[in-house]
This record gives sequence, C-alpha cells and structure tokens, in this order.
Amino acid sequence: MKYAKVAFEDVTVGDELPRLVKGPIEQIQLTRYAGASGDFNPIHQDEAFARAAGMGGVFAHGMLSMGFVAQAITDWAGAGTVRKLGVRFAALVRLTDVVTCRGRVLSKSSKDDVDLVELEVWAENQRGEKVVSGRATVALASRG
Amino acid sequence: MPIQVDRSVVGKEYPPFPVTVERGKIKEFARAIGDLNPFYLDDRVGAASALGDVIAPPTFAVTFRDERADAGALLRDLGVDISRVLHGEQEFEIFRQLIPGETYLCRTKVVDLYEKTGKSGPMAFVVRETAITDRANEIVATMRHVTVIRL
Repeated sequence: MKYAKVAFEDVTVGDELPRLVKGPIEQIQLTRYAGASGDFNPIHQDEAFARAAGMGGVFAHGMLSMGFVAQAITDWAGAGTVRKLGVRFAALVRLTDVVTCRGRVLSKSSKDDVDLVELEVWAENQRGEKVVSGRATVALASRG
Repeated sequence: MPIQVDRSVVGKEYPPFPVTVERGKIKEFARAIGDLNPFYLDDRVGAASALGDVIAPPTFAVTFRDERADAGALLRDLGVDISRVLHGEQEFEIFRQLIPGETYLCRTKVVDLYEKTGKSGPMAFVVRETAITDRANEIVATMRHVTVIRL
C-alpha cells in the first residue's frame, strides 16, 4: 500500500528506503514550482538569462529536489513524521534529468516516549551523481 | 576581479512577519513537487486524521515570506545580483505540523557569512535562520538557509 506507514519495530539499521524516481525534469514543472514556492529567480525559467549568468542554461530549484527527497521519506514513514531534514545541494539538476531519491537507516532511538529513526538521504541523477545529500530524523509510530 | 559582499549584514534581523497557512497553497505546493499524498491533498483524509486537517509537506515553510517587504531585501543588503546566487544548503526542524488556517510569526536573522574557494571559484556563503512560532509564541519549526554567492 503506497501510503502505509512503516512501524518503528519493523525498521532495522541499514534498511534502505524504497527508491523514488522523479522526472524527467521539464520546464513546466520548474514554472509550476516557482509559482507554488514564490521563488521566481529567472535562472530557473529563462534560458538566455541562465546562460548569461554563466550557468550554462536553466536548472531546477534546489528546493524542488529537496521536496522530492522529503516525498521519498514520507512515502515510507508517513506524512507528518519528519522532525528534521537537512540537505546540501551537491550538483545542479538540469532539464531532462531523472532524479532518484534514496535513503538508508543510520540509527534508532527512543526518548520521552518518542521513537526516532535517523536517516541518511540523498538524490542522484541518471549518471549516478549525487545532486542532494543530507540527513533526516523521523518519528515513527509503534505497531502497538 | 571578484565582487565584494557587504559583511555588515551578519547579525541583521529582518522585521518579524505573520503568515497564515492557506489550504489551497498547501495543495498547490504538494502538486508542484508531484507529491500526491492524501494527507496534503484530501480534506476528508485530513479531517479523519489525528490532527483533524490536512498538513503541509516538510519543506512547505520555504514559501513563507514577508509579502509587505521587498523580496530582494537580502540581496540588496549584500550588494549582489540575483544571477550570482545559488542555494547551498537547507534545513528544517519541525516540532509541530503546519496546518491550514493557522497564523504563524516568522523571524529571520542572518547568522553567518563566510567565504570559500570551490571548484568553480571563490564563493560567499550567507546563513540565515528563521524561527516560526504560533500565536502562543511557541516554536513550531525552524529553517536554516545557506545562500551561495559566486564572487
């Protein structure tokens, strides 16, 4: 089931999250993300502007890729489980790129009746190059 | 010759601004990412959930901005053009879920500015932190945003 939540007891250190494949990235998605996020930097929209800026052409908002990574986490852990998500934007995502979001369980802990899972998360392009890398903490429910 | 950034911006606090989370904005944002999770999109699923309403995706707070202020204030303070700006890092810490209809107060501060030379030349890193609080002045979420300026 796509939006089933994983239970804390069923998570093992080293587990890999199901991969989430997004894209190929199209200009219309960057335009849509600009509208939804309020980030209208023309470097994500205007090919001539992006070239003149020395960026070699339009590229995706980092926050769009971070949104993909967040989706990979919540598809697995459930909506509303993310307590912390921090990433570095390691490489640009270009039009036609396919972005695969991945994650791995680093550790588990329980504190004050909250069951936390620490994740390494990243996204890579179709050449296997990391475009996003980071860490996340999710609070999982028990099977009960 | 590399451009100079105005370092006096470190420590600057921007005026606090209120944001009311709108139901439609949550859905627009989730759909722009292509995340069709019903806990963001379906009011009936939200109503039946523990929080009693849809919630915002984890990165939603990036949409929060002071609509009364000039969107280019930070860049003007730094003295740099938008074409030189990249997003370096981003972090969210979420203590409670953002839900529709709630009004939050955002306080943004520039906490650091440092320079490094990378593969593509000299760059400045500007670190901003935003605290998001509710009407009771309790912390709901924080954001840390690292802007990279190609010098």
